[in-house]
Amino acid sequence: MNPRADLPPSGRLIRLMAVVSLLCGVIIVAAHKTTLEPIRRNQAAISRENVALLLPGASRQIAYGLTPAGEIEILTGDPAGREHFLAVYDQAGSLRGIVWEAAERGYADLIRGMFAYDPEGQKVTGFRAVELKETPGLGDKIGTDPGFLANFRALDARLNQVGDGLANAIRAVKHGTKKNEWEIDAVSGATVSSRAVGRMLDRSARRWTPVIQRHLDRVRKGH
Amino acid sequence: MHVHATIDPQDTVNQDAFLDGLWKQNPVFVQVLGTCPTLAVTNSVSNALAMGAATLFVLVCSNVLISLVRKLVPKQVRIATYILIIATFVTVVDYVIKAASITVYKALGPFIALIVVNCIILGRAEAYASRNPVGRSALDGLGMGIGFIIALLCLGGVREILGAGTFLGYPLFGPGYQPWVLFLLPPGGFFTLGAWLLAFNAWKRRKEKTA
Repeated sequence: MNPRADLPPSGRLIRLMAVVSLLCGVIIVAAHKTTLEPIRRNQAAISRENVALLLPGASRQIAYGLTPAGEIEILTGDPAGREHFLAVYDQAGSLRGIVWEAAERGYADLIRGMFAYDPEGQKVTGFRAVELKETPGLGDKIGTDPGFLANFRALDARLNQVGDGLANAIRAVKHGTKKNEWEIDAVSGATVSSRAVGRMLDRSARRWTPVIQRHLDRVRKGH
Repeated sequence: MHVHATIDPQDTVNQDAFLDGLWKQNPVFVQVLGTCPTLAVTNSVSNALAMGAATLFVLVCSNVLISLVRKLVPKQVRIATYILIIATFVTVVDYVIKAASITVYKALGPFIALIVVNCIILGRAEAYASRNPVGRSALDGLGMGIGFIIALLCLGGVREILGAGTFLGYPLFGPGYQPWVLFLLPPGGFFTLGAWLLAFNAWKRRKEKTA
């Protein structure tokens, strides 16, 4: 008996897989097209909500990106996918503050956070955990613990003499040992997650604060 | 005049296809399948409900499509075809959850994508949908999906009540309640599943003895 007798021809198998793949592709594209707009709306709404919580009184925001020459430029359309910071203005058009997003590996997964920065006082004035998969009841307290969030009311983020980085490295210290205004008092039992927030802020502040201070006049005017 | 009520055997088969998954062949409590999402996302009732609904959608849709193409697909490429179909509906449900609620999407994390490898779905495709007509396969998917939701809610309910003192986010015990956080953590998932399996088996054994 020929063992290959009941084997369908390869061409038929390939054609069948191609037809099924095509059908699946059509279903996926249709779902993608249908949900694209609501997904964008949801993401924009979450971002607006976080900005409003970080900087109450926010009325308008402008996304600034960086040119290859290191200059800032206004990003039109959806800034997601491009490195950027948001300049936030009140109804009178005055600069309320700056907001940027950053991410860092935490205990369980990547922690994504949003920071508010006061360019006049050179202080970090708020933190919101945008994406958090840390241990429930322990690590996830970095997003809710009032004591931890109080660290970000006026955290020192001054520039150094040269103006190309921070005067003091921002870092999270063990709960109850905070001595300086640039230190973050970690949540007890969530030191790894707290330190991740410290690293995230230090790295992103080093990146953005020199750029913001260098172009502060332009950002104030919203140009 | 006597009217003889006759039971159509077709109806009984359809009824069985639906009811088996709910209780007698419950995918979690009897077949112990799909334990990865069962343990991972049942730390709250809302997460359990969202994961259960997503799995139900994928089960019903993939069962229907697999049943539709069952006579065209040779056995040599059946697994590849089933996975392709299942992955398609998982992608669809991923988009739909993201569009409906970013909060739920973030809470379920990577477990939405992992529905592709949930053995309940591939198991039903291979054992049922590939051998039965469309209607019956849809009923089987519906029964198994609802059975999965019931199991997830049983776990999610216990874990949220004990671990957070809430049900669907509403506080149950007042401010004095000290939540049993362990139940929200992975060991709490194992304890709760173990307790439910114990209760289910004890109930089955008692029923067998009385029968």
